[in-house]
Amino acid sequence: MKNPEEAIGKVLAGLRAAEASPGMERRILAAVEARASAPPAATPRWAWGVAMAGAAVASLFILFILTTAIHWHGHPSTQAQKHVLPAEPARDAQPATLLSRKPIEFIKAVAPRRTATRIRSEEAVLLSDLRAPSHPAPEAPLTNEEKLLLRVVHSGDPQLIAMLDPEERARQEAKSEAEFQKFVEQSSKEDHESDQITE
Amino acid sequence: MASIAGGSLVLFSMERAQAEVDLAALVERYSRLLFRVAHSVLRTRAEAEDVVQDVFVRVIERRRSLQGIRDMRVWLIRIAWNLALDRRRCIQPEQMDKNFAETLAASAVSAGERLEQAQRMSAVLREMERLPKTERHVLLLSAIEELGTAEMAEVLGRSESAVRALLFRARMRLRERLEAQGGKR
Repeated sequence: MKNPEEAIGKVLAGLRAAEASPGMERRILAAVEARASAPPAATPRWAWGVAMAGAAVASLFILFILTTAIHWHGHPSTQAQKHVLPAEPARDAQPATLLSRKPIEFIKAVAPRRTATRIRSEEAVLLSDLRAPSHPAPEAPLTNEEKLLLRVVHSGDPQLIAMLDPEERARQEAKSEAEFQKFVEQSSKEDHESDQITE
Repeated sequence: MASIAGGSLVLFSMERAQAEVDLAALVERYSRLLFRVAHSVLRTRAEAEDVVQDVFVRVIERRRSLQGIRDMRVWLIRIAWNLALDRRRCIQPEQMDKNFAETLAASAVSAGERLEQAQRMSAVLREMERLPKTERHVLLLSAIEELGTAEMAEVLGRSESAVRALLFRARMRLRERLEAQGGKR
């Protein structure tokens, strides 16, 4: 392009000079007020019916869950079995009285059959996992830096590839820094001059 | 009882009237600026106008929380900016950029020259779209005369020095790319 700076300036000036079509404010006000004054959509009667039915079904489900839970917690006590152990002889007791004493009873809760079955099935799953043939771990994804490096290399842009050299990059950065300083100084100087003119 | 109801009705209508006055004032004051903000992204009048309308719909929707907004102008600009960016993703910007480039070409030249100018402007717009996002945003906002560096920084959520540096880099990168294109031809 012959003079890129001029072309950029022209595009930016075109964006700066963009003017709305006449009457935009009026049209916008009318549209916004129409939107604001529109009544909110009323909830249809059938929607209330559906909501009520849904609530009823949900409450029935909760009731069922609660009933099942209560029944389940009460179950182990009914399965408790009595085991009888022979009584331990007391040290200071007389032999005659020792024989006449009743044996001590204690209650041992037996785990429900269902739990045992579940444990067995979990063990089976664990064992099958253990015996399954092992595979190598999947390849780790590339890091962002590696991806960037690949992209730069594949782009084939000599300027970008040259920037991978630290010395070259330092030189370019120093150059751009100098240009930036110049730009800032120039723009601040222009601002100062324009302030003086307006004063 | 009836008098209380009547009083509250009057208060309600007064409040509503006040809100309407405020909205009219806001539209009057900011719509042109917001149009330019949206137009810098969308580059078509109709779409930009729709964005401005959407901004004021948001104002109406959030009218209860408007008191808490520190800087109304920046808030509105930010809404317009974000809405315009969203909208640009949904439309086909190439055609719009082409139309805008044609409007930029001078009318007092021959048809051939006019076509060449339009192509040059299209190339600038195309390269602008290829700039890194933050640089492109700063460059587009810099085109809006009413916006200073501080406001641009607030809209983009960056510091003023960062905005200045981004603007410099954007212009330099754009110039280099356009020069490279010219060299290839």
